[in-house]
Amino acid sequence: MVELGGYAGRYLRVDLSAGKIWVRETPKELIRNYLGGLGFAVKILWDEVDEHTDPLGPDNRLVISTGPLTGTMFPAAGRYQVNAKSPLTGIWGHANAGGFFGPELKFAGYDFIVIQGRAERPIYLVIDDDLVELRDASHLWGEERNGRFYGGKTTFETIQMIREELGDETFKVAAIGPAGENTVRFASIINDLGNAAGRTGMGAVMGSKRLKAIAVRGSRGVRVAKPELFMEVVDDAYRKLLVDWGDALKETLTKYGTPNLVEAINAMGRMPVKNHWTGYWEKAHLIGGERIREEFRVKQASCFGCLVQCKYLVRSRKEPYAGIYKGPEYEALVSFGSSLLVEDVEAVFYANHLADLYGMDSISLGMTIAWAMESWEHGLLTKEDTGGLDLSWGNAEAMVELVKKTAFREGFGNVIAEGSKRASEIVGRGTERFAMHVKGNEISAQDGRAHQSSGLTHATAARGADHLTSLSCLEERGYEQVAAERYGADKVKDLVDPQSTRYKGWLVWDLEMLYALGNSLIICWYEVGWPPVFYYPDMARAVAAATGIAEFGDPNEVKRIAKRIAILRRMFNVREGLRRKDDTLPERFLKEPMPTGPAKGHVCRLDEMLDDYYEAAGIDKETGVPKDETLRELGLGELAGRWR
Amino acid sequence: MAQMMLLITPELCTGCRLCEGACSFHHYRVIQPSRSRITVVKFEDRGLDVPVTCLQCDDAPCVAACPTSALWKDEESGLVVYEAERCIGCKSCITACPFGGVGWDAETNSILKCDWCGGDPQCARICPTGAIKWVRADQADDTKRRMVALRMQEVAQNLMAPKRAGV
Repeated sequence: MVELGGYAGRYLRVDLSAGKIWVRETPKELIRNYLGGLGFAVKILWDEVDEHTDPLGPDNRLVISTGPLTGTMFPAAGRYQVNAKSPLTGIWGHANAGGFFGPELKFAGYDFIVIQGRAERPIYLVIDDDLVELRDASHLWGEERNGRFYGGKTTFETIQMIREELGDETFKVAAIGPAGENTVRFASIINDLGNAAGRTGMGAVMGSKRLKAIAVRGSRGVRVAKPELFMEVVDDAYRKLLVDWGDALKETLTKYGTPNLVEAINAMGRMPVKNHWTGYWEKAHLIGGERIREEFRVKQASCFGCLVQCKYLVRSRKEPYAGIYKGPEYEALVSFGSSLLVEDVEAVFYANHLADLYGMDSISLGMTIAWAMESWEHGLLTKEDTGGLDLSWGNAEAMVELVKKTAFREGFGNVIAEGSKRASEIVGRGTERFAMHVKGNEISAQDGRAHQSSGLTHATAARGADHLTSLSCLEERGYEQVAAERYGADKVKDLVDPQSTRYKGWLVWDLEMLYALGNSLIICWYEVGWPPVFYYPDMARAVAAATGIAEFGDPNEVKRIAKRIAILRRMFNVREGLRRKDDTLPERFLKEPMPTGPAKGHVCRLDEMLDDYYEAAGIDKETGVPKDETLRELGLGELAGRWR
Repeated sequence: MAQMMLLITPELCTGCRLCEGACSFHHYRVIQPSRSRITVVKFEDRGLDVPVTCLQCDDAPCVAACPTSALWKDEESGLVVYEAERCIGCKSCITACPFGGVGWDAETNSILKCDWCGGDPQCARICPTGAIKWVRADQADDTKRRMVALRMQEVAQNLMAPKRAGV
C-alpha cells in the first residue's frame, strides 16, 4: 500500500444485519476522483443506493466520512460528514458537524465508515484504534408500550453513559436521542455534547438501523506527506485568518459567534419572521448577538483546531429555562425566535438545548412549528388538532411543549415529526401553502426576496432548501474586493448588489463547487463561505502538501473534482426523478412581495437566475439534467443519455 | 537569563486543542494528540477546558522518584530535563507526578514530558486565546494581573455605557 499523507488509508464497512465488520483499504481511485468527505459519500451512495431504496430501510447506507485535511493543523479542519438518502426529502441527504468526533475517527485510522443493514436489537459501535465491535444498547434505547414511547436516553446521557461504560472520558461519541429512535424525519446526530449533524434526518437513518451511537478513540494521529511544506501552508492560512481577516473576525464571529448575523441580516431585511412572512423584525435585538453577549454569554468554545472559535456557552437564570447551554447559532435563533415571534431569548436557548438533547434539527423543527402557528392563525388548526396547545404566534411555552412532544411523537408532535411538507399533507385544509420547504426540506434563515441569490441557492441545493450548499455572502456582507479578485472588477457592482440577479447564476454555481470542495477536504464553512477567506488555489495548495498527490496542487484540477462531486450529487436526485420543475420556491417568495422592512416590495426573481445557473453548471435548461457532454468531461460518461 | 515558564489560564481556554497538534507535530512530525505532552482536559457538560502539562517543579517529585537520574533539574533554565538513554521505563515518574504532567508513549517506550521545545514552546506559540503563555517566571504575576485588569476594565466600561432602551 502506497503511503499517502492526510488519509488514514483504510475504512470500515459495518453490516448491522449480519453483525459483521470489515476493515478495507481506501480505494486509490476514490481518492483521486472524489477527494474525501462529501465526495466519497456521493460516489458510494451513487453506487450502493438507488431510486428504489427506502431511506428508513436496511438497504440505505449511512456514510460517515472525513477528508484529507480532517484532524490536521489546517485551521478549522475538525468536521465530519454524515450522508445517506434522506428520510425527510427522499433524495440526497447529508449533514456536517464540528466538535472532535471527525478528527478522532481519523486518529483511529479510518477515512470513513459505511453502515448498512439493520440490527436485530439496539446496539452501538465502538472503535478503539484496531479494536472495532458492536455492543448492546438496549439500556440506552426507549421502548413502546400501548402506543406510547417511553425512555430512550437523551444524546447527552447516551454520550456520558457510554464513556462511563468504556472507562474513558476521552472517547468521542456521536449519538441519537429519542427523536432518532422514533425516526422523526429531521432527527439529528449529536456529538461531543452539542455539535449537531442536523439536517435531512441523518439521525432517523441511524435510528432505523437501531444504531444508538458510535464511540471512537484513536491514538494513531495523522501524517501529512510533506510536513515542512504543509506547515508553511498552515502558517499562511493562519496569517490570512488572523492578520488579513483578523479585525473582521475579531469583531464578528469570534466575538459573538453566528448570532452576530441577527442584527446585520435583519438590517438588510432578510431575516425570516413569522414563518418567512417578512424579512424584518423590529424586535430583532431581543434575540441578537449584542444582547446575548452582554447578558448571557459565559464562555467561548471551539471545535478541533480552529482559530475562528465561534462557539459559545450561555447561562440562563430564569425558571423554567435555567441552566448552562451551548449557545444557539443564528439559524436556531431565527427558527425558534423570529420565525415564531418568540421574544424570550431564554426560551429560545432552552428549545435549542432540547433539540440537541432529543436529537432534532433546529431549523426543520422550528420551521415546521412555524407552519403550525401560521395555520393556527388562519384557523386551519384548532385545539382539537393540537391536543389543547394554543399555537398563537409568540407562545414560547407551547413551542417548548411541542419540541418535547415531537421527539416522542406524542399527540400533535407526531404530525410535526413528519416535517412541514408531510405534516401539511396530513392536515390538508389548505395548510400546504404555509409549508415553507423546497424538495421537502425546510427553508433556512435567508429570504430570496431580500437577497436574490439566496433564493437561487434554496431552489437548487441538492438537499433541499439549504444555505450551506452555495449561499453567497458577497452581497450579504459587501465584499467588493473579493468579488473583484475572483470574478473581475466589471462585475462587482452587480455581484455585491443583493437585488441584482445579474451574474448570480454563475456565482451560485461557482460557490456550489467551492463548498463541495470544502465539504470534501473537510474544512469549515466559516472560513470558506463567510468570511470568504479560502478559494480554490488555497485549498489546492493545502491538499497537495497534505496528501503528496501532485495533481491536487492544480486549482483547476480540484475544481474539476468539485464539479464532478456536485454533478454526481445532482444526478443522484435526477435518478430519484427530480427535474427543473423541482428547482423552485414556495409561492410566498415568488409572488408575495416582501410586506415590510428594507426589502419591501421585492419578490425573488428566480427565473432570471436559473438559466444562467444551468448554463454555468453544464445542465440542460429544459430538463434540469446534467448534459451528456458535462458528464463525459467529468469522466461520468457511462451515465450519459440514461435520464432525460 | 531569567527563568521562563508556561503560564496557563484555564478560563481563557476554549478547548480547540491546537496546542496538542502543535506539540506532537514539533516532536514527531505527526499530528497525534495521543503523543502530545500537553493535553486539554475537557468537562464538556460544564464547558470547562483545562490544559495540563509538566509544570517543571523546583522540588520535582518525578526527579526524586527516578532511580536512574534520567530526570534532573537544570537549575539555570528551570527545566526538568529528560534523558531517554538513561530511562529504564519504570514509570515511577508518572506515579509520582501530582499533576498528571508525565505520560507514556507506547510507540517509543519512553515518557512524554514537556521539554519547552528547546526554548520556543509551540503550544504557547499557537494558542489563539492566550490561555497558554510563555513568560518570565518572575513576571508571571504581572502578566496575570494585567489579564485580569483588562477584563475588569471591560466590565467597568460596560457599566459606564448607556443602556439601550428596553433592555
